[in-house]
Amino acid sequence: MSRLEAKKPSLCKSEPLTSETVRTTLSVLKRIVTSCYGPSGRLKQLHNGFGGYVCTTSQSSALLSHLLVTHPILKILTTSVQNHVSSFSDCGLFTAILCCNLIENVQRLGLTPTTVIRLNKHLLSLCISYLKSETCGCRIPVDFSSTQILLCLVRSILTSKPACMLTRKETEHVSALILRAFLLTIPENAEGHIILGKSLIVPLKDQRVIDSTVLPGILIEMSEVQLMRLLPIKKSTALKVALFCTTLSGDISDTGEGTVVVSYGVSLENAVLDQLLNLGRQLVSDHVDLVLCQKVIHPSLKQFLNMHRVIAVDRIGVTLMEPLTKMTGTQPIGSLGSISPNSYGSVKDVCTAKFGSKHFFHLIPNEATICSLLLCNRNDTAWDELKLTCQTALHILQLTLKEPWALLGGGCTETHLAAYIRHKTHNDPKSILKDDECTQTELQLIAEAFCSALESVVGSLEHDGGEILTDMKYGHLWSVQADSPCVANWPDLLSHCGCGLYNSQEELSWSFLRSTRHPFVPQICLPLEAVGSASNLTLDCLTAKLSGLQVAVETANLILDLSYVIEDKN
Amino acid sequence: MLSSMAATGSLKAALQVAEVLEAIVSCCMGPEGRQVLCTKPTGEVLLSRNGGRLLEALHLQHPIARMIVDCVSSHLKKTGDGAKTFIIFLCHLLRGLHAVTDREKDPLMCENIQTHGRHWKNCCQWKFISQALVTFQTQILDGIMDQYLSRHFLSIFSSAKERTLCRSSLELLLEAYFCGRVGKNNHKFISQLMCDYFFKCMTCKTGIDVFELVDDYFVELNVGVTGLPVSDSRIIAGLVLQKDFSVYCPADGDIRMVIVTETIQPLFSTSGSEFILNSEAQFQTSQFWIMEKTKAIIKHLRSQNVKLLLSSVKQPDLVIYYAGVNGISVVECLSSEEVSLIRRIIGLSPFVPPQAFSQCEISNTALVKFCKPLILRSKRYVHLGLIGTCTFIPHCVVLCGPVQGLIEQHEDALHGAFKMLRQLYKDLDLNYMTQTSDQNGTSSLFIYKNSGEGYQAPDTGKGSIQRPYQDTVVENKDELEKTQTYLKVHSNLVISNVELETYIPYSTPTDTFETDETLKCLSLERNRLTDDYEPLLKNNSTAYSTRGNNRIDISYENLQVTNITGKGSMLPVSCKLQNMGASQSYLSSSMPAGCVLPVGGNFEILLHYYLLNYAKKCHQSEETMVSMIIANALLGIPRVLYKSKTGKYSFPHIYIRAVHALQTNQPLVSSQTGLESVTGKYQLLTSVLQCLTKILTIDLVITVKRHPQKVHNQDSEDEL
Repeated sequence: MSRLEAKKPSLCKSEPLTSETVRTTLSVLKRIVTSCYGPSGRLKQLHNGFGGYVCTTSQSSALLSHLLVTHPILKILTTSVQNHVSSFSDCGLFTAILCCNLIENVQRLGLTPTTVIRLNKHLLSLCISYLKSETCGCRIPVDFSSTQILLCLVRSILTSKPACMLTRKETEHVSALILRAFLLTIPENAEGHIILGKSLIVPLKDQRVIDSTVLPGILIEMSEVQLMRLLPIKKSTALKVALFCTTLSGDISDTGEGTVVVSYGVSLENAVLDQLLNLGRQLVSDHVDLVLCQKVIHPSLKQFLNMHRVIAVDRIGVTLMEPLTKMTGTQPIGSLGSISPNSYGSVKDVCTAKFGSKHFFHLIPNEATICSLLLCNRNDTAWDELKLTCQTALHILQLTLKEPWALLGGGCTETHLAAYIRHKTHNDPKSILKDDECTQTELQLIAEAFCSALESVVGSLEHDGGEILTDMKYGHLWSVQADSPCVANWPDLLSHCGCGLYNSQEELSWSFLRSTRHPFVPQICLPLEAVGSASNLTLDCLTAKLSGLQVAVETANLILDLSYVIEDKN
Repeated sequence: MLSSMAATGSLKAALQVAEVLEAIVSCCMGPEGRQVLCTKPTGEVLLSRNGGRLLEALHLQHPIARMIVDCVSSHLKKTGDGAKTFIIFLCHLLRGLHAVTDREKDPLMCENIQTHGRHWKNCCQWKFISQALVTFQTQILDGIMDQYLSRHFLSIFSSAKERTLCRSSLELLLEAYFCGRVGKNNHKFISQLMCDYFFKCMTCKTGIDVFELVDDYFVELNVGVTGLPVSDSRIIAGLVLQKDFSVYCPADGDIRMVIVTETIQPLFSTSGSEFILNSEAQFQTSQFWIMEKTKAIIKHLRSQNVKLLLSSVKQPDLVIYYAGVNGISVVECLSSEEVSLIRRIIGLSPFVPPQAFSQCEISNTALVKFCKPLILRSKRYVHLGLIGTCTFIPHCVVLCGPVQGLIEQHEDALHGAFKMLRQLYKDLDLNYMTQTSDQNGTSSLFIYKNSGEGYQAPDTGKGSIQRPYQDTVVENKDELEKTQTYLKVHSNLVISNVELETYIPYSTPTDTFETDETLKCLSLERNRLTDDYEPLLKNNSTAYSTRGNNRIDISYENLQVTNITGKGSMLPVSCKLQNMGASQSYLSSSMPAGCVLPVGGNFEILLHYYLLNYAKKCHQSEETMVSMIIANALLGIPRVLYKSKTGKYSFPHIYIRAVHALQTNQPLVSSQTGLESVTGKYQLLTSVLQCLTKILTIDLVITVKRHPQKVHNQDSEDEL
């Protein structure tokens, strides 16, 4: 009662975006995220003064979850990026940078928020419908019958995360592993509705990346001593598995709300142990070869089972229960009494395995969609980054399976899209405005702000002082190194565009990205033969990028629409 | 410690407070309004344009401010809309009062207060004004609404009798509502979503109970998903429970389900009992018995084709296991709201495991169309295809958004929209009553007398003509012959015809009504109708002594009819009125459910116009003053709405055009599409006037710095 206090009044600020502190904090955030972007992005070392280990990263998910953001406007921005990343894994930095750029560019114009929001929305829907249309010039179909494009997709993700510290060879190796792990989760004879399996990532730190591998089935980590105790099974047929989710330690289960009075001399422990041994007998008579338990198995029961040449493994933990159920086809058993025979499952074989200093008990499935990806990296921070990257890549592959398209990466999609919007707003403004109250001048202004926001996103791919150009035919991105001679013989200086689809030997004309250009029609309808011949493309996931684009514009609109901030000071 | 301070300028203080609040809410008012970002003490952020939320988030300390906020929230609880308008209107009223009292040093009606001190003199003057406000609200406002304003009302229902809603008019209504509640870029989408939801959930027989159901269980009927663009929001048929299956067994065909509220597995001992274990064998047998019993219950459920078990408690592993073995899916730990929602939708009572076990059929099972896991952004939910037994067809809204704050805003707005619709569907005789008709018991004591004015009143009052919205031609009441096509949907007339049939047993000359079905002579009939009220009512009142209970029923229905009290009324209320020097007649009438007006300050401008007209005719000075102040304050709302508009659409242009149209009896043309509920507006007006009365009657604010005392429960019970 003494702690009862009146609530403090809140702090109310009007027009938050005009305040200097908000602008400064926004630009600080923007600098942090832009400097991380792309394959040559700079790494951030996040160090918490209160403890925990130092995290070295350039990924938005790790970066934003470690950053402590206090200003409510920044909080909106970072949470919306984090929410996007947690549902699509990729394109977090893209979303954050685009959102910051949009806010910054639009503020300079001084138009009313209503106009800005309305027009931003029109431009967004223009982008989306173009990226989804058949004529889109920056997306390619993903062919699941060959690994080429899938590998490109995975490789692009790995190379864009420099904190993984992978060499070229290692990148190739890990990309192949990720793709294999993904393919193992696809059921072989799928009809209609596909339910994907799961790739479990098993940590193996302090090992060479090249030692990473993929195994079908599940690895259960054990100490060497435990492993030695397990008896080898010699059996040609599949092994019968019983999976328990209830405890087999001999605890007395819930006795209800009333009291239970135990007479002197009655030992409930013995009674329960009897029950457990009965259960053991039933398991043996049912010819079970392998008993797995989520919780603890009573040592006597364990010994009994071992005596009857049944392998007993306990303390599996709740995380492995679902994959185990899926892989073995068992029904997790919650009863100490009679067990229905159809709740047993099977595995093809079991063996022991040693990777690095760790020992594993390996369950090999008959035919199942569960696999283990043993991931190695030199140190903790690099391993964490690599694990996140692998999860991202696996998720991206799943998303691509649902929507089999990929966007050209390396910044080409953005420049192409910007060129398309410029052209569209210049030549056909009526179709965008429709019956709105906005004028064409307002549209031109906002479109310019929108396009330059998109272009500055790709501008931040370049961190070493180089120049970024765009060609006037495809609208792709080309980058020149910083110390190149200024008299331009462009075709010699530039080799390939950002995504690697076009080379400079075509008759193209270039201009600097930052300079003003006439709107031109970027070539739409990608020639398929060009895609087929190119082997080393940089690609992005269509689903993730589309959502990132939408989230960025929606969040920017939200922030621009704010007229007051009410801060609760309690 | 107690310190007191005299609120010497309570009106002034209130005005200052209201002006600050006005500055905040006016920026998020109307279609051009912007968002406000609120942070919670937990650090979460919330986006809002909801006036009520904003006022709460401010945590105001000023006592008058807190009173205003309380008034707003109690108004919101009732109607779910209008918090921002509330503040703006209140502010303008205070401003008007302030100007008047400033100007007139010598107050209007304070002859007898010269002996008091200055402060008390002021208070007394405010007291008078507040009394005048009460009089206005209870006696004048309704009359103006009924006699003048109602001719402009449109009905949202395409057929008033069956209360059917057509999609386009609902769209107009919702779009206007969401304009003020969600962000500019989302309001169209959200209002479409709401519209879809409405038409998917409602059957043609939908009544008010469905609105109550949706309103009560709105939290259970929507699912928020962060990280997806808003445009991914959608409506899903069936019910989504925000938890995963404990066991899921794919099943199709005839799926039955049961709800349990306790563990199926019998326990050793129930509370209050004692279980004595004498031997190990006894323990083992009891365990064996428990197991067998559980198994038997599950088997029995299986034999009844039960494939889904919903439990409000956590079930033991044993139950989950046997359910899994028998192909029964289990969902555990349902909240009590979820359970009661399911029970209300399908009308199912919980299953109690039988004590003496028999092979009898379980009566309380329900059929489910499907039951499957639903994955939204890698989170799993339970998706049930319930078959509703009431008029509600279960559907869920999945709301997506980049941040939780935005989703909450949309959820809030959708919930508010249902509240608003619930009000719109309500029978308005309850909300729209004058003082006399409020007292049903006493109204039967009236001596009904004929007065010339009284006849005109219902005639003009009921002259509202329901017309399709697109049709801009307003037909005059005198031209009824020309509007035959519309008369089919003439809501008031339909109602009065229906009601008149109930009088037939009591009066002789009513036979004509049954045969009078030709729409052509409607105006004629109308006259006759009012003529006939007199004998009819007389009949009733004379019959009172003999008819007893029946009479009371009728007095309810008489709300539809005009009750006329003349000068010689013996009712105490009207006696009081006469003391004030007015010869007034009480009118009570009703607005049919679903009355709407076009948005864009139409209601305010209309009421302003008619109030001014009324004030001109008024003889009493304080009445004139109050009407003038309210009339002028009303204009404050459209002024805010048209703030950013220029040229032809600026406020002065709109106002002049509207007044001109009214003077020349031409139809009002609104520059905006969209409709708003008249009831909402009316309730808002009365709430603000009540709030103002409250403010004015306070003469002293005493600040006490002490922890609030514990309120004894008994006291509150006594009050109840």
